[in-house]
Amino acid sequence: MRGPPPRHPEQPPEQFPPVEGVIQDAAELKLGDRVVYPNQGVCAVVGFKEMDIGGTKHPFVTVRREEDGALVHVARDKVPTIGLRRVASASQMEGVFHYLAAQFDDPELDWKVRHRDNADRLIAGGVLGVAEVVKGLHSLSRIRPLPTKEREQYDNARHLLVHEIAVSLNVPPVLAEDYVDYALMPPAGVKFDLKPPPKPVLLPSRPKKRIAAVEEEDDLGLGDLGLDLDLEGALEGATPVAAAVEGEAAEGETAEAAGEGAAAEEEKPHAEKPAKAEAPAKPAKAEAPAKPAKAEAPAKPAKAARSAAAKKPAKKAAPKKPASKKAPKAAAKRGGKKK
Amino acid sequence: MIRIVTLEKLDPADLVFLTGTLYRAFGVGTEHAGEKPVPPEAETTDGRLDAVKLLREVEPIRTFADDKILFITGAPLALKPGPLGEPPCWGFAEFGGARAVITTSKLPARGASEASIEAYRRRLAREAIHAIGHLWDLHHCYDPRCAMHPSWSPSLPANPEMDLDTFCREKSERKVRLAKT
Repeated sequence: MRGPPPRHPEQPPEQFPPVEGVIQDAAELKLGDRVVYPNQGVCAVVGFKEMDIGGTKHPFVTVRREEDGALVHVARDKVPTIGLRRVASASQMEGVFHYLAAQFDDPELDWKVRHRDNADRLIAGGVLGVAEVVKGLHSLSRIRPLPTKEREQYDNARHLLVHEIAVSLNVPPVLAEDYVDYALMPPAGVKFDLKPPPKPVLLPSRPKKRIAAVEEEDDLGLGDLGLDLDLEGALEGATPVAAAVEGEAAEGETAEAAGEGAAAEEEKPHAEKPAKAEAPAKPAKAEAPAKPAKAEAPAKPAKAARSAAAKKPAKKAAPKKPASKKAPKAAAKRGGKKK
Repeated sequence: MIRIVTLEKLDPADLVFLTGTLYRAFGVGTEHAGEKPVPPEAETTDGRLDAVKLLREVEPIRTFADDKILFITGAPLALKPGPLGEPPCWGFAEFGGARAVITTSKLPARGASEASIEAYRRRLAREAIHAIGHLWDLHHCYDPRCAMHPSWSPSLPANPEMDLDTFCREKSERKVRLAKT
């Protein structure tokens, strides 16, 4: 079954594990069948018809929500993907009650994860997923009051669960709710003879973090544009300026190394790291901060030196700066103060 | 309009307290609409009344659209057992419907002292609010201070509040506003 849309363009679309009773083909539906529309509740199939949309005829299944009589038209080819499913059987319901009555002291405390998982469970978790939402939020409510949004989610989940139980067990909804709360909050002294609850609904694993961007955060692409802005120098003063120039020069050097190739390498007296020479096509910014030795190079590439000299004469001293002076620059880059 | 129908004698002062409390809880006019006999079809072999059958078989009451009828009986009520057994029954209502029934058999003894009478009335009012709340589409609430908290819950205090919490009150107000009449 199809899950929610991917959160990142490179992420493949998520697939939920199939839930028991999900209708895989609209041909399985017959008039009068009672089905559960995720997040909507129990509906009855009331018709099949073709509707004209944009000049094209599309076949639709019409279902009527039993709670309020609202009509929902579902495109036949969308039936397998929206999670339409049969009303839970009595044996499934028994498992749900044993799950509700089981001990549960571990509610998810991260509200983002909890809210997202609960939304997924309500959409594609089947009746057990809805029961998990009710039980999870109920357990959490014993620790602290639920925030408004989750209170609504709890109420909606309870509403869906109660109505499905009522239909499945053929009892009035209030009685179904009494069953649910009898399991959740048994009276003092009542002990249930519980069977092992069914396995929890499997939700697709999601990345904890967004996929790391290829470019570094501080790379604005100025080097690619041929711009040589001395922002750090303007902010920090003489000593860091020198360091910044070193950095820029190094970056410029690497960029030129990529562009000019061997010419830049010839100007360096003590050959830099072989890895650097072997990989001239690597992005300049990715390498520059990781190689302090490059800043010690006395001779700068022509372009970097020209631009530095044209801007500030003080930058000429930069190549002679010892490597130990690089520390303040790194601190400044992280937002630390210069001494 | 909420109409209270007694299935056996109830103290008039208790009824006055109950009507006032229901009016304050839902903002809907409340009155005592008389007394009706218990339908024999609702009686079970163990001396209790089948709550579902009682609501189905009781004599009809003249009502208007969206009127809610609350029956009060002194006999214990029975419900159909569920997968984990029969839950204790303090009352029963048609969810979003028009009829509800509560029993006084599980309330604390009315007694003769002011304190015991007050406790009895408050608990009676709480159960009435709970049942009428179901008629206005309210579900059970996890907050023990709310009248919609299950009546058998172990976290319910000895003398529970007879009021709805914010969420349930707002929801019931929305439902009352959307009612046809």
